[in-house]
Amino acid sequence: MTKVQSKKIDPITVQVVLGALENVAVEMGHKLARMAYSSIIRESEDFGCALVDVRGQQLCESSHSTPLQSGPIPGYIKGIRQIMEERNDTFYPGDVIMHNSPYHGASHGPDVGFCIPVFYQDELIGFSFTAAHHLDIGASTPGSCGIVDAVDAYAEGLQFKAIKVYEKGVKNRYVWDMLSDNIRAPKMVVGDMEAQIAAAKIGAQRYLEIIEKFGLDTVEAASEELMNYSEKMMRDAIKKLPDGEYTAEGFLDGYLDSSDPAKKDLRIKVTVKVHGSEMTVDLTGTSPQVTDRPVNMPLMGTVDIAIYLTLRSILLDSTIYGSFPQNSGLIRPIHIVAPKGTLCNPIFPAPTIARFNSGNMVADTLMKALAQVVPHQVSAGVGNLQVVAFSGEKDENYWVYMDIMEGSYGGRYGKDGMDAVDTLYANTRNNPIEDIESHYPLRVNRYELKDNECAPGKWRGGIGSIREISFLADGSFSVEADGHKFAPWGFDGGKAGSVGSLSIREKESDEPFKLPSKLPNRIAKAGSNIELAGPGGGGYGNPFERDPEKVVSDFLDGFILKEKAFEDYGVVITGSGEVDYQKTNEIRNRQR
Amino acid sequence: MKLFGVDVGGTFTDVIFSDTDNRLTAIHKVPTTLDDPSTGVIQGILELCEGKNIDKAQIDHVFHGTTIATNAILEYDGAKTGMLTTKGYRDIIHIGRHQRPQNHSIMQDIPWQDRPLVQRRHRLSVTERMGPLKDQVIMPLEESEVRGAVATLKKQGVESIIVNFLFSYINPAHEQRVKEIIEEEYPEAFITISSDVSPQFREFERFTTASINGFVGPKVKNYIQNLEQRLKDSGIAAELHIMSSNGGVATPKTVSEKPVNTLLSGPAAGILGGAWAGELTNREKLITFDIGGTSADIGIITGSGYSESSARDTWIAGYPVMVPMIDIHTIGAGGGSIAHIDEGGAFKVGPKSAGSRPGPACYGHGGSKPTVSDANVVLGRIDEYNFLGGEMQIYSNAAYKVIDELAGELDLSRERTAEGILQIMNNNMANAIRERTVQKGEDPREFSLVAFGGAGPLHAVEVAKILNIPEIIIPLYPGINSATGLLTTDLKYDVIKTEFMLSTNMDFSGLNADFKGLESQLVNQLKEDGITENDIQVARSADCRYAGQGYELRIDLSGDVLDEVTIIEAFTNFHESHKAEYGHHFMESAIEIVNIRVTGMGVMPKIEKQKIHHDHQLEDALLKTGETTFNINGNLEKVETKFYQREKIPAGAEFQGPCIVLQKDTTTVIPPDCTASIEEYGNMIIKVGV
Repeated sequence: MTKVQSKKIDPITVQVVLGALENVAVEMGHKLARMAYSSIIRESEDFGCALVDVRGQQLCESSHSTPLQSGPIPGYIKGIRQIMEERNDTFYPGDVIMHNSPYHGASHGPDVGFCIPVFYQDELIGFSFTAAHHLDIGASTPGSCGIVDAVDAYAEGLQFKAIKVYEKGVKNRYVWDMLSDNIRAPKMVVGDMEAQIAAAKIGAQRYLEIIEKFGLDTVEAASEELMNYSEKMMRDAIKKLPDGEYTAEGFLDGYLDSSDPAKKDLRIKVTVKVHGSEMTVDLTGTSPQVTDRPVNMPLMGTVDIAIYLTLRSILLDSTIYGSFPQNSGLIRPIHIVAPKGTLCNPIFPAPTIARFNSGNMVADTLMKALAQVVPHQVSAGVGNLQVVAFSGEKDENYWVYMDIMEGSYGGRYGKDGMDAVDTLYANTRNNPIEDIESHYPLRVNRYELKDNECAPGKWRGGIGSIREISFLADGSFSVEADGHKFAPWGFDGGKAGSVGSLSIREKESDEPFKLPSKLPNRIAKAGSNIELAGPGGGGYGNPFERDPEKVVSDFLDGFILKEKAFEDYGVVITGSGEVDYQKTNEIRNRQR
Repeated sequence: MKLFGVDVGGTFTDVIFSDTDNRLTAIHKVPTTLDDPSTGVIQGILELCEGKNIDKAQIDHVFHGTTIATNAILEYDGAKTGMLTTKGYRDIIHIGRHQRPQNHSIMQDIPWQDRPLVQRRHRLSVTERMGPLKDQVIMPLEESEVRGAVATLKKQGVESIIVNFLFSYINPAHEQRVKEIIEEEYPEAFITISSDVSPQFREFERFTTASINGFVGPKVKNYIQNLEQRLKDSGIAAELHIMSSNGGVATPKTVSEKPVNTLLSGPAAGILGGAWAGELTNREKLITFDIGGTSADIGIITGSGYSESSARDTWIAGYPVMVPMIDIHTIGAGGGSIAHIDEGGAFKVGPKSAGSRPGPACYGHGGSKPTVSDANVVLGRIDEYNFLGGEMQIYSNAAYKVIDELAGELDLSRERTAEGILQIMNNNMANAIRERTVQKGEDPREFSLVAFGGAGPLHAVEVAKILNIPEIIIPLYPGINSATGLLTTDLKYDVIKTEFMLSTNMDFSGLNADFKGLESQLVNQLKEDGITENDIQVARSADCRYAGQGYELRIDLSGDVLDEVTIIEAFTNFHESHKAEYGHHFMESAIEIVNIRVTGMGVMPKIEKQKIHHDHQLEDALLKTGETTFNINGNLEKVETKFYQREKIPAGAEFQGPCIVLQKDTTTVIPPDCTASIEEYGNMIIKVGV
């Protein structure tokens, strides 16, 4: 056991201060979720809150939020400071700064951050920050996802680069007016933004209370301890891995209906280089950026978060390690190499708004690379998400609703894959059917697991779901998805998973018409029915080694057919739904 | 009236008797009989009757707190269940809200997938579909399919059937019809319909709540039937009432139908016990603080009573539960919490606990890890010879050994390490209280902390100091507080209806009619339970939010019939409580009435205030003087400390810290800068910084 306490501060005070800081982030998140108007924040929990010290180090983050929002916060602040420096601007007490520039730390345009500088005795000591996904940000078509045909950063909607919406406590009315005039569903969006500001204000106030109680020196020393702590956790985890290089590739659909080969079958290449307690994640070999389509990923805010989150979930899995603070110390031993001009480090003004699936593919491919080193800590291939923006007009106003369709996980060592869940760097919640139908002219006609489809393995892949939604009034929709062409990978003898799909039936009598995974805004008449099928995760291990009782259980639950139990698993099921062990053993022995 | 309260805990079954006519109270404890807790219940009552010469035939009421439902769900040991659900939505309880419980874990389990309340093979779907509008039947119920499905479930051998249809909270007709059909086709089955258990929107949460009801149902029903029978057989003619999570009691019949309402039976009674202690000292604003071996329960009581948890915040064993419950905040911190240095080198306390076996090292059962109790021993706060009234041996040397090992790793002194463990633990608990007070606009300085449970009084004063709470109340019987709480309850039922009505488009006659309908439903129920009209009270409230939000706040609507005038006051209250709760309000925004609620209470006989009287002087209570370590302005100091025996301290006595007050079921620590006194009704009051 190493000696842990710093010279400046004892280990007891460290815990007391950290507990107080974490408590603040929890409060911020709790209040933001409860005050927010749009389902993307309050139900999907697509938001993040954090306190950051004056050096830009994150001190705490709200645990009940999506990692893709909290993670980038230090990057937002870095971007804001960079822009303010370029503009010769300064922070004042009472400022509230709005920021969403993906080339300056923001995750992508719709994720708008609000930053409140915190002053103690006239000195800037840190920041209270909230980030959240907004329904609409004034892009070319309604909604803030499925803007898959934006040709550059300007087509993605309003760009806020460190804009003071309050200065010295005074509201900049004209900024708000301009904002409201240029976005759809402004009441909801502005309500959400006010909720964000209110939550950030609470954070700032509590931050000060903590400083006043413990003293700035103590809080700074405690936060340094915190960084060192997380850094040590990560270094120790990396140290356990054998030095070497581990490479994997994954592919994105891109634009399946495009005639341009540069827009399809996009490669993500990850090489993990382990050296002692340091790790480099090298993305060299990843496809060039798509200059006029928004599937490119901001390096800071998307790529880095996908990498940190995946490493943490595998190497410091909270089921095994318990929860511990996410902060800037955690990433000190990790280096990222991302060649400029590629999908993972695009050049301005290349569009990035629809970068979600690309980032999740980075996460999945990184896991595939790590599977070679820590096979007991990964899952087989993970299915990507599909996001649909529904919209329509009512009383000269827009309604906009975003629906996130889940993926599923691959099998794991000792466990089947997780069925029908949000995956990897996203962890949002679906919206209750009873809420959707009560508030929008939509009907969810079906929502259940796929019958008889899951990837065989000693531990089978997670099962995808089916979701059908129809329009009760004329409207339109757009889709941002992936994984329609490349199925999640099987591992160690497990079979590959299944692809997702999207189709539409415009009249009940019609046959379903297949649509590509990237669908720009499309008009839909009342009665049109959209069918989404979620992907199934990959299988893990040789299916002939699966416990026959589990195979029968899957058969009884309607997850596999009897014939498949025989073909894929070598398990013979009797007429009464039990394992025929004699025949099963015969077949399985023959296979060996 | 002769009343019995019996609370079954994990280790002990606590019994309290109160005779309201001659103001007599007596308590007793027997070991919990885990196989069939009713054995311990009967034994506890009979032993107390014998010891105190109580005629068992004369007992009027037995109030009972039970953990049958809680344990069934925690241990995933319930009925073989089946489900009938709307065609197209077979897997709502499996997919859930498609969110993983943990952000950073590949190897995590998902409770509703890994421990399904109804296996998919027993989830059958039938043609029917209600819509979001009143009377909107999108697809009529196909009764022949229902009969076929029930036959299948019967053949599969399920003993409990849950009916979960979409939008049944708006129109329960299909669910109700299916219930009739099941009663015809399979009358032996335990039947639950979601619109009965929790008629509110959010299908995953409602279906899961109904499924929990079906899962624990047969067990609870059998237990209660059995208990009633055994009471009768033992010659106890009393009426039996069961504690519900909502802070009231219910009849055996209603509990047998909706056992999901008893998931927090014991902890709810604990909060009531805390409220009773507050009443004895004339305090309305209370924080109740119950620490046991592995966890701490925190409850908040304000002028308007205890707070109820919002529908979206209640989880049991990882499953969401949407029924009215007292807001009880449980954290994994107790006397058995283990102090350790984690992989990253941080000094942590809990959430892992040594439990009761092996328990803390100082118990001498082979515990080898330093716990909170061991730290209390090292600091001299738990007395080697007087723990649990001297009934339990404490091994101080074992505590020194484990704390010394940790101290070596931390490079701190033995005392500093022990005191550090308490500081970390106390701050964790203070943070949990802060979440429920400061963060909701309540100022802890206006509250009294009521501490009970085996370890609550050991930590209460230090926790109060962190939060600037000026006063701590230690009840007379801190170890059987839940049993005491059982004797302060009323019969209480809640009904709820989802409205989705906007402030810009109010339908007052519809709303008033709905309230009236709910009210008469409740009044009938209470009358059926034998309550006379005069003893019935009803209260109206509504769950409101700004149109578009996803979380509701409850607004009191008792009083006049609703109209354009009275509603303004109600909405003003909503704006204000939104501001208090979240620090912000949206005055321009439309308000949506999501649910209306009516709570009905039938007044029950209760325990009466009773003065303590004995002839002792304070000096008689002094057991010894010893050295105890306290943190005084950041320095650890060993100070001469008096050890008193609580049972012998007379009413009216006042004494200064530092001192330790020992009693049979707990130990109270009073630091140097505090004053304590014993009140006429038995509470011990500790004032901080006096």
